[in-house]
Amino acid sequence: MVGPQPATPDAVIEFRDVSKRFGPTTAVDGVSFAIGAGETVSLLGPSGCGKTTTLRLIAGFETPDEGIIEIAGETMAGKRPYERNVGLLFQHYALFPHMTVAENVAYGLKHRHWPRTEIAGRVDEMLRLVQLRGFGGRRPGQLSGGEQQRVALARVLATRPQLVLLDEPLSALDAKLREELRLELKQILATVRSTTIVVTHDQDEAMSLADRIIVMNRGRIEQQGTPDDVYSQPRTPFVAAFVGRANWIHGRISGEVTGGYARLVTDRGSRLAIRKPPAIAAEQWSVCIRPERMAVAGPGAAAGRAGDNLLPGRVVDIVNMGAALHQVIDCAEGRMMVVEPNRGAAQARKGECVSLLFRAEDCVVLPRVAG
Amino acid sequence: MDDGLRILCLAMIIAVVCFLLIPIAVTVVMAFDARAYLGPLPPPGFSLRWFRQFFADDYFLRGLGTSLQLAAAAITISLSVGVATAFAIDRARFPGKEAAVALFLSPLIVPPVVTGFALLLFLAEMGLVNGFARLLAGHIIITVPYTIRATLAGLAGIDRSLTEAALVLGATERQAFWDVTFPLARTGIVSGAIFALAVSLDDVAVSIMLTDAHTYTLPVALISSMRANFDLSIAAASVLLMLVTLALILALERFVGLNRVIGQGVFR
Repeated sequence: MVGPQPATPDAVIEFRDVSKRFGPTTAVDGVSFAIGAGETVSLLGPSGCGKTTTLRLIAGFETPDEGIIEIAGETMAGKRPYERNVGLLFQHYALFPHMTVAENVAYGLKHRHWPRTEIAGRVDEMLRLVQLRGFGGRRPGQLSGGEQQRVALARVLATRPQLVLLDEPLSALDAKLREELRLELKQILATVRSTTIVVTHDQDEAMSLADRIIVMNRGRIEQQGTPDDVYSQPRTPFVAAFVGRANWIHGRISGEVTGGYARLVTDRGSRLAIRKPPAIAAEQWSVCIRPERMAVAGPGAAAGRAGDNLLPGRVVDIVNMGAALHQVIDCAEGRMMVVEPNRGAAQARKGECVSLLFRAEDCVVLPRVAG
Repeated sequence: MDDGLRILCLAMIIAVVCFLLIPIAVTVVMAFDARAYLGPLPPPGFSLRWFRQFFADDYFLRGLGTSLQLAAAAITISLSVGVATAFAIDRARFPGKEAAVALFLSPLIVPPVVTGFALLLFLAEMGLVNGFARLLAGHIIITVPYTIRATLAGLAGIDRSLTEAALVLGATERQAFWDVTFPLARTGIVSGAIFALAVSLDDVAVSIMLTDAHTYTLPVALISSMRANFDLSIAAASVLLMLVTLALILALERFVGLNRVIGQGVFR
C-alpha cells in the first residue's frame, strides 16, 4: 500500500482506499474512484461484490472502517445521511404508502427547508418531468410499478441532490417495461444533468445508462472504463465472463510472431493467431472471443487472410432467438456459442460438421486463472 | 372446484355459522322475553322488562361501572407499555431477544386462573388489598401481550428502507420515526387496543380472584348472580355487552379499516 492517494480536483464524489468489514467478511476492500460532475457511472458486479455496501457508504447508512469518502471536496466522516445532499432511488422505491404522491415528492423539500410557497411549484415541476401530471393526489398503492418508480425518481430529484444514487433501478420491473423506462430514465437524468451512480448486476442496464462502468468483484474494483472498453478490452477473466458472454480457449504462447500476430498453441494442439499478449509473466493463457465475433462456415472453409482462425467443430444446437441465432458448437477446445443475426435460412444444421471462423483481432488474451 | 366439493364447503360454512350464531340468537330473543319466568322458546310476547330490571339493579350497575373504568385504565397503561416495548424489541438487536419476546408474551400461555391466583397471593404478601388496584394489575398483565403482539405485527410490515428513504431525504431519526414509522404502525396499535378492550371486558378467570366485596367487574357480577338467582336480566346484560363491543369494533374498524387501505403498500 502506498497510503491514501491525493484528492482529485473537481470530483463530485471520491473514494480513497475505502474499506468496510462486516465481522470476518470484507465487503469493500481498498476501493478508490472519483466521479466528475455530470458523469453517469455504473457500479457493476454480482451480488455480494460490494456494490451495495459502496452505495450505502455514500448515502451514510454505513461508516467506512478505513479510507476517506469526499463529496464535493468535503469529507463525509461523521456525517449522518440527512447531513449529506445525496439522492437515493431504492430498488423497491420505498415510497411512503400513507402519503400521497405529492406528499412523497414534497417530503425532501420540507425537510430541506424549502420555503412553503415554492414547494407546490417544485412538486408540479417534478411530476411533469416524470410525466405523472395530475397524479399528485393518488396513493402509491394505486399506482403501477412503473409509475411508482417514476414517483420515486421525482422524489429523489426534487431536492436537486449533488449526487444521485440508483440502486438496481429497473430490476423490479418486467422485461418490456424495463426497456421503456431505461430510455426514459436516461433522458430524465440527461435533462437534470445530475451526477449519477447506478448500482446494478445487470450488464445491459450498466452498458445502456452509464458513461463509465466500474466492475466490482469480491469488494475490489476489477476494471474501470467506458462500456465499450469493458466489453471489448476486458482486463481480467472475471470481467470478460461477467460482462457479456465469452467463449474461452486455453493454451500456451509459442513465442513465434507472424504478421504481427502471436501464436497460441491450444491444450488440444491447434495453433491460433492471436493479438499480442499483455506484458505479464504467465505460463498458461486464456483467449476470450465474444460469441458475435465468431462465425460458422462450411467444413472445408479455408483461412482467407493472415490472422483468420479456423477450428473444426460440430453443431450441437441452434436456438432461434428471433433477431439472432444462437448456435452451440462443440470443438476439441470446448463448447462455443456463436451468435449470428437471423437472416432466414440457417447456414448449418444440428449435427453437421462445420468450421468456426474468428479473427486474431477479436481474441482477448488474458493470463489463465486456475479452476 | 367441482360442484360436490363446493356444496360440501358451503354446508360446512353454514354449519359453523349456525353453531356460532344460534346460542347468541337464543340469548338475544330471551332477553326480550315478556314472561316473568324462564319458559320454552319461542316467547309468547316481547318486552324490555329484563333490561329495566338490569338497570334497576345496583349490583349489576356497579359491576358495569367498574368494568368500564377498569377497561379504560388498563388499556391506557397496557397500550403505553406494550407500544414502547414493541418498538424497543423491533429496533434492538441483542442476544436473548427471542427469549425476551417470549417472556413478554408468556401471560398468553399461563392459564388465567393461575395468573389470578398467583397475583392474589403476591399482592396480599405485598400488602396491596385495594380491589380496584388489584384488578387493574391483573388486567394490565392479561392485556399487555395483545398490545405488544399487535404492535409488533404492525411494525413487522414496515420496510427498513422507508426509514432510510426519510433519512436520505433530510429527515432526522426522530422526524423519520414520527413521519413514517409511527403512522404505519398505527393499524397494529389500534388492533392491539381492540383486543385488549375485548379481553378486559370479557375476563372472568383473573378478575374473580381479585375482586372484593365492593369492587367487581360485570362478568363476575353476572356469574355470581347466576348462581344466586337465575333470571333473564343476565341475558339482557349479555345483549348490552354485545352492543357495547359491537359499537366499539365498528367505530375502530372505520379508523383501522381506512388505515388498512392506505397501508396496503406496506405489505406487498
